[in-house]
Amino acid sequence: MTLSLEIILFYGVLGLYFGAMVLYFLFVAAKRERLGKAAVNVQTVGLLLHTAAIVLRGIVAGRLPLTNQYEFASAFSWGLCLVSLLFILKFRFTLLGAFSAPITFIIIGYAALQSKEIRSLMPALQSNWLGFHVSTAIIAYGAFGVSCVLGIIFLLRDKMKESGFLDQHIPSREKLDMLSYRSVSLGLLFLTFTIVTGAIWAERAWGSYWSWDPKETWSLVTWLVYATYLHLRIRRGWQGKSAAIFAVAGFACVIFTYIGVNTLLPGVHSYK
Amino acid sequence: MMKKLLKFLSSMGFAITLLVVLAAACVAASFVTQGQSYEWYAQAYSDGAARLIVGLGLDDAFHSWWFLTVTVFLCGNLLLCNLIRLRPLIARYRREADPAAALSGPADVCCEGVADPLPLFEKLRLSQPKAHEIEGRKVLFVGKNRLGLWGPWVCHLGILLLIAGFTLGQLTHREYTVYGVPGDTKPIGDTGYFLTIDDFEVKLREDDTVEQYVAAITVFRAPQGSTAVPDSMSAAVSVNHPARLYGFKIYQNSTGFAARIRVDEAGTPLQTTVVCAGEGIEIADAPGLRVYLNAFYPDFYLQPGVRPMTRSGRMNNPAYLYSITYENSMVGMNYWQGSDGPIKVNDYTITFSEPQSYTLLQVKTDHFQELALLGGLITLLGLILAFYVLPVKVWATENTDGTWTVYGQSRKGGALFREAFDRAAGRDAVLTEKGAQT
Ligand code: HEM
Repeated sequence: MTLSLEIILFYGVLGLYFGAMVLYFLFVAAKRERLGKAAVNVQTVGLLLHTAAIVLRGIVAGRLPLTNQYEFASAFSWGLCLVSLLFILKFRFTLLGAFSAPITFIIIGYAALQSKEIRSLMPALQSNWLGFHVSTAIIAYGAFGVSCVLGIIFLLRDKMKESGFLDQHIPSREKLDMLSYRSVSLGLLFLTFTIVTGAIWAERAWGSYWSWDPKETWSLVTWLVYATYLHLRIRRGWQGKSAAIFAVAGFACVIFTYIGVNTLLPGVHSYK
Repeated sequence: MMKKLLKFLSSMGFAITLLVVLAAACVAASFVTQGQSYEWYAQAYSDGAARLIVGLGLDDAFHSWWFLTVTVFLCGNLLLCNLIRLRPLIARYRREADPAAALSGPADVCCEGVADPLPLFEKLRLSQPKAHEIEGRKVLFVGKNRLGLWGPWVCHLGILLLIAGFTLGQLTHREYTVYGVPGDTKPIGDTGYFLTIDDFEVKLREDDTVEQYVAAITVFRAPQGSTAVPDSMSAAVSVNHPARLYGFKIYQNSTGFAARIRVDEAGTPLQTTVVCAGEGIEIADAPGLRVYLNAFYPDFYLQPGVRPMTRSGRMNNPAYLYSITYENSMVGMNYWQGSDGPIKVNDYTITFSEPQSYTLLQVKTDHFQELALLGGLITLLGLILAFYVLPVKVWATENTDGTWTVYGQSRKGGALFREAFDRAAGRDAVLTEKGAQT
């Protein structure tokens, strides 16, 4: 009964995220402020219901609902939606939604394709550290997703014809660059939390806190890539276009760590 | 020459190169299955690829000489960089709170002709500025978050400790495995300590899935010379809940089935032993003749064309897979269930009974694990300082006409700080060129 309520909520959220995406597109196409506001509102309602769905699943399962592909993909889209809404509201940057909402929708769509069955956890996965590990990963991935979107906007900005609407809704290059830097720093901080809590969990569950498992290795690669980004910014003044390209490439690493490693490379993280 | 080399080794350019090389090495290694033999790679890829992989050490990339060399250079680079930057950093930290230094240094933004500067400080959520008199001018100054200047330095220190803890741990850690069934006492490697498995329970849920593996254990040091009962320590160990006894960290690592093998000769008992799946015994008076317990199925299920399996973890239909060898050649292999009657080999009859779970415990010592953890935590602290404790300073100088010019500087605030300053000033502030302060 409660389980099906969670699934109904989930599909409701899927619909709302889709609706928000369409509204964002219409906002850009029709250049109507009201559509932008409506998109943000729909997305916010979606996020609230999504939070309720995740909490409900946690209650039904009696554990943190962050342990299988469905749960993680759903949480990943939640994290991306949360971080992008924070940026949209804090920096009054509605147009960001037109780019982040499709990615959010694709990820929750991927979640919709996974098995939604609640299974009991194997002993290794019963750990609070796993909870911290995955929750911090969600924020990190969300933040890197936003930095990628900001990078794309930065690169497209040069190609767009100047218009009052775009000028009003896209921040200056300098500010875009700064926002991208801010989201990368948020992501790197949380990725570091993810790696540290993951190491603590691995030590308790498997007796070794770092074993060069492909997922671990790829999270280190992602960490190194973003650390390189930060140093390049300082050292070579790599800001603007180059930094934007780097932010997009960095997110490709994130996606590979998330999906590619599970499907292409063997390791303890692919709970098959 | 030496100076130049040192400068290069401690430079950020070199650091960036090392970070990129390290990332590339990790990517390459992640695509090659680690720890296999030349033959394995030759079969999986090709002869040429296998030669390349083994030749470059890509089969054990993370312990290869080149990976270690890059890591050593990175550590050296970080260490030098942190050492060289320490004094300037202390100086900058002091300067950050010095209004005179602010006055002679660069500002990011300024706003002229302000009648009352105090609301601007307030709107920027700064504390009440302190009044100073510098070179005959009235100056209001407030700075915050200068601790953030230490962020990168602390982060780098954390990374150094982390790598040091990890590397020292790799070099000095000791690792042993102990396995057995309740009642077994086994040595912990060559440490002089022993471990007794007092109990082992596989907790099943109603749906037959495993909830937890719990081993009750006792560790004691071998009695030396005296017959006194040795000191001992006991604990329960389960997955995700290791125990620490006598400096050893003990983990519940895995499990499997064990059973008792009993051999009778012409109707009289000859020997009986509990063995774990995969183990066997040599029949006492028939050298070279061995009986193995290969596997055990608690709820045996066999169908033509399907691999034998167990339907659940419960003892509903126990079956044993055994094999018999003579001088290492296979004599026979089959499934056995109690109802089949004893297995007959020459004059011997063999039966299996008392199926049970054995536990495999991992016993480790790593004295540097805490150092690595400390490194991780310090790295996190450094990142928080670097990204979320952003140094800001705002100061105002009184002009001869009684109005004030307010300046702001935030090393990392960039456009966002200028925007906030703008908003606080209530009008477009004048962006200063770097260093241009009137
Ligand atoms: C493992 C890799 C490393 C990581 C994760 C790392 C992390 C960081 C971070 C987070 C910052 C602050 C960036 C910002 O605030 O935008 C930073 C700055 C810096 N890093 Fe690293 N770093 C690493 C390696 C190195 C190495 C090997 C050097 C050696 C030269 C170095 C030199 C610097 C310098 C000079 C700064 C600028 C400091 C400042 O602005 O005060 N880093 N690093």
